Amino acid sequence: MTYTLQYADVLRQLPYLATGAVLTLEIAFVSFWLGCLIGLAGALGKLHGGALIRRLIGLYVVILTNTPALVQIFFLFYALPDAGITLSPMTAVLIGLTLNSGAYLIDILRSGISSVRTSELETAETLGMSRLQTVRYVILPHVAKTIYAPLCNFFVWLVLGSSIGSIFGVEELTGRAINISSANMRTIETFSVVAAMYVALTFVASITLALTGRYAFRVKARIF
Amino acid sequence: MLDQIVAQIPTFFTHFTLTFLLEAMGRTLAMTVLGCGVGIALGTLIAVIRYTKTRLLAPLRVVLTVLVEVFRRIPFLVNLFIVMFALQGFGSEVSLFTIATISICIVATAFLSEVIRAGLESVPRQQIEAAEVMNLGFARTLFFVLLPQSWKVILPPAFAFMVMFIKDTSLASQMGVVELTFTGKVLMNRGFSPFLVYGAVLAAYFILSYPLSRLGAYLENRLASPRSRKTLKRVRSATGSPRHHTLG
Repeated sequence: MTYTLQYADVLRQLPYLATGAVLTLEIAFVSFWLGCLIGLAGALGKLHGGALIRRLIGLYVVILTNTPALVQIFFLFYALPDAGITLSPMTAVLIGLTLNSGAYLIDILRSGISSVRTSELETAETLGMSRLQTVRYVILPHVAKTIYAPLCNFFVWLVLGSSIGSIFGVEELTGRAINISSANMRTIETFSVVAAMYVALTFVASITLALTGRYAFRVKARIF
Repeated sequence: MLDQIVAQIPTFFTHFTLTFLLEAMGRTLAMTVLGCGVGIALGTLIAVIRYTKTRLLAPLRVVLTVLVEVFRRIPFLVNLFIVMFALQGFGSEVSLFTIATISICIVATAFLSEVIRAGLESVPRQQIEAAEVMNLGFARTLFFVLLPQSWKVILPPAFAFMVMFIKDTSLASQMGVVELTFTGKVLMNRGFSPFLVYGAVLAAYFILSYPLSRLGAYLENRLASPRSRKTLKRVRSATGSPRHHTLG
């Protein structure tokens, strides 16, 4: 059997796919920042909280990082209606991704915060720095340097992970690809174009983040 | 709602459902193990080729670098669709399980080759110069100098990625591979409460991946000398390793 590749049908739909790509970025962006809030709270709780809080946060991280995000969202989407909470696909995906990324971000942020050594804080005190100065000149540069690269990687990972939304009918990039391919039956062409879009999207994101890091935080983040 | 779930428990935990879940677990595990095996083998090959410096292999190095970069940046779901339609479009009769396994192999190769390459590059240059002075060829440098020093740095992130692949296989349920997540759907269609079904599926995934991530964390603490601890940190951030705990 021979198969001729025809890209015309797909390329005509590029604007439609591009709006899907915007939604993909939005999902990643929202769940990243909400996840950062969970991550920050969790990391601080894990470092400074009592034994019970630390245990609970540890349990949260272990459970959420060792089970697939897809099944977690399935759980939210199908099991919660039994308890009287009905979520739209979009909210279920957003909540699922946020909770999931929160667990990873707790780990990342915790390693960043604990990378500041006590001797450095003591030095800052000896130099007569105020609390604000210590945060600005000692703690933040340190934390930024440690967590910037992992955070960038994680954001890219989240952009790719948001493709899970298509399974629940969220019309982001993959979801729109499925729509198009079931209409024009040009599946290979559609998905190869979409794959190229994902590569371009994450590549641009990586380069922008690496350059930002280099100039704003003096982090030597690798692009490749 | 709660009493409804409790009422279902005796019908849910029967011999039938448990063997059904166990079989699915086996299939999930088989996909991951095959993927990781191929990924480690091909990944090492790619990493070693990319590590060489001869001009002869330069075009191959460029091609491999592009391939690895591209496949690390495609969502697993899209990867699955492409593999499926590419294989079916060209008219071969392959099972869905094979398609999913091939996808996992591709993804594992891309990610693990990057981890292995970062591990190889973490070996100090002086070591290679010393090997050169002692007139070791490339193969002997690789097996006696590079790999023995880099596997400590490679293993912990590699385990983190293996856990990631276990979780990625759940997406294969979308194509109809009867693995854990798909089993969950089937059981739910049989009328069991989603709480029970997906709770059990989540627990099954946890049973599969928790020992692996514990082992990774253990190896990280056990193997890492102060020097490789530092390089490990670099390897993690360079490869985007999905797990960051215990370090720092």
